[in-house]
Amino acid sequence: MNIIVKIVFLICLLASYSVSATIKIVTTTQDLASIANIVGGENVEVKSLTPGTRDPHYAEAKPSMIRKVYRADLLLLIGADIEIGWLPALLRSARNSDVQKGSRGYLDLSSSIDLLGKLKIATDRSMGDVHAKGNPHYWLDPNNGILMSQVIAERLTELDPENKESYRQRQSTFENKLAQKIVEWREKLLPLKGKSVVAYHKSLTYLAEAFDFKIVAEVEPKPGISPSAKHLNKLVNLIKEQNIKLLILEPYYEKRSSELLSKKTGIQIAVLPQSVGAMPEIENYFDLFDGIVSELKIAGNF
Amino acid sequence: MKTQTITETLTGRSVQLFRLTFVSLGLFTSAQLWASDGNSELAELKEQLKQLNEHQKQLEKKLEEIENAPSKTQPVTQSNTASNSELLKIGLSGLFSSGYSSVDDDALANLQAGGHDPNRNGFNVQNVELSILSTVDPYFDAQANLIFLVDSEGETVVELEEAFFTTRALPAGLQVKGGQYYTEFGRFNPQHPHQWSFVDQPIVISRLFGGDGLRSQGARISWLMPTDWYSEIYFGAQNANGETVTSFLFEEGEDIAGHTLEEIRARNFSDALLSFRWLNGFDLSDNSSLNFGISGLSGPNSSGTNNDTSVYGIDAYFKWQPDYVQRGYPFVSWHTEWLTRRYEAGEAGSLERETLRDTGFFSQVLWGFQTGWELGLRLEKSYSNGEDIFDPFRNDRERISTNLTWRLSEYSKLRLQYNRDWAEHLEEDTADSLILQMEFSLGSHMAHKF
Repeated sequence: MNIIVKIVFLICLLASYSVSATIKIVTTTQDLASIANIVGGENVEVKSLTPGTRDPHYAEAKPSMIRKVYRADLLLLIGADIEIGWLPALLRSARNSDVQKGSRGYLDLSSSIDLLGKLKIATDRSMGDVHAKGNPHYWLDPNNGILMSQVIAERLTELDPENKESYRQRQSTFENKLAQKIVEWREKLLPLKGKSVVAYHKSLTYLAEAFDFKIVAEVEPKPGISPSAKHLNKLVNLIKEQNIKLLILEPYYEKRSSELLSKKTGIQIAVLPQSVGAMPEIENYFDLFDGIVSELKIAGNF
Repeated sequence: MKTQTITETLTGRSVQLFRLTFVSLGLFTSAQLWASDGNSELAELKEQLKQLNEHQKQLEKKLEEIENAPSKTQPVTQSNTASNSELLKIGLSGLFSSGYSSVDDDALANLQAGGHDPNRNGFNVQNVELSILSTVDPYFDAQANLIFLVDSEGETVVELEEAFFTTRALPAGLQVKGGQYYTEFGRFNPQHPHQWSFVDQPIVISRLFGGDGLRSQGARISWLMPTDWYSEIYFGAQNANGETVTSFLFEEGEDIAGHTLEEIRARNFSDALLSFRWLNGFDLSDNSSLNFGISGLSGPNSSGTNNDTSVYGIDAYFKWQPDYVQRGYPFVSWHTEWLTRRYEAGEAGSLERETLRDTGFFSQVLWGFQTGWELGLRLEKSYSNGEDIFDPFRNDRERISTNLTWRLSEYSKLRLQYNRDWAEHLEEDTADSLILQMEFSLGSHMAHKF
């Protein structure tokens, strides 16, 4: 008898818990987590599967992620194949039909963004690890951050219509603040306008697009392929010829090649946080661009 | 009589209790409905007016934005065309090697007893694997792996290595898998040759699970437990007969420790190969994780009419990565497994009756010291009770292997491995082998199993 009472009590407790519970959001990166946190506020509980220090393309799928995805109500992903090495297997193991592709709890943000670098011609992998669907590093254009917040707010409203007003307000506050900050960041980076820059990997294209500078070459000869001595020599010539002053890269790339280029040409190296959490002081999406702008200003000496 | 009354009262009370719960739930919901109905019209009008105002403000703001915007801020929905690669993922991986050993091919075949091991002096086509996987519908995922290999006789072998479905939508953390598949025993057994960290499989795996690893036809259910850490339990039943279940109803005429195997069919359903696994995963810190599992198998064997085999194993996997990693490097990983088998051999009551015990372990460390480069070290030992020193599958064996792997990209690798074997049946007691391996993978980007 006692057991039956306990079971019924437990069921009621669980039922009441699920009614009042916050929306559990799991994101593949900390950038998505930051935006979801700002838009969702106290109505959501957000966890990122990967830390900002890691390249999400090579993230390590760990069993602890299975539990996070299993408990989630909403999965936010960058998409455009950036998580292809680990997310499909994770979704198969996580057995949560609410967040499978095609469910309302599955939101691929790349489907709302006009991606750069989409390939219109057929490609093969002799070109390196090319993403045919387009360059997936779009969160590095803060204008895309606005789009991302809109899409996230929309989906949260669908999942939790009761708090519609709260999501709308938080999203518009975020959007207004970001729009203001974009103006401020663009002003600060005005000296960079139209300048040629070298990047390590084809991942900072969106940043260049947002702040009007040009990436004319990459340290990697092809995406995901380590630089050879021959390629580095070519770069030395290019940097000298075009008098390029700035080399930008993410903190997880090897610095030896870049330091070699710097020694031979005097090019300045700026290590840019590429994601929220990439460096300890980068705690949210605003910090991300504050950090990038200040690194660029220091290295560019303006 | 007495018990009957108790049950009656019990049922009576629980019915009452359920009624009470339903009534209170009903009251609760109707109260909510009523409350919302009461002021609904006024509230709705107010809301509409508010929305209209908001909408106007938004439109004004949008207009302003479009005029001042540095670049586009309009969401592009569905503009990125879906490609057909989502519908069917197809991949082909090829694993080739060239190896030379201080012993001849016959001796080497016993040292490298795995079906995908480089077991010939010269060139080996270790494994060519065609994988097709996709989502069937909202309820199932499915996958098939077909393998092609050229054996030591030069014959091409085609096998349906795996073909199975897994469920997507079962409640309560349950998942069913069915078809032909690798038994989830330990960490190594379900891995495919292109996922291995060494060019060959561990000795103890060849001894207990044969050249192809343990796989058969059947079904298993797994439960993702509601613990704070990752914890999953698997129960499975598979057919116990065939050439890929060597410790059980292996093929007639084969020989285990001098016992010739007979043709024995499964007697009933309880003669299936039953498997169990409990796998746990912990994040020790932001940079390191540990998996720990225990596994068990039980089923009939064909060395006598009523003989059984049981196998137990423990496995652990640890991985460390620093804060910043480039393409997954640097890292340090450590993988260890210990397995033991209890095998009832010979007819009950006969003089030949004995219980064979075979045990072994391997422990391997991998150090990804620089982007694309890995250094590996593996130690192994296998031994058995009442061993015959001339039986290459039961005598004492030890092996040290070390290798260097260069992943040129995500899709190709080169690996150079050196093996030093100690085995009592060898003329010189030792053997040295050097193997160069090349792997390519085509097609869909297959997700890596962790």
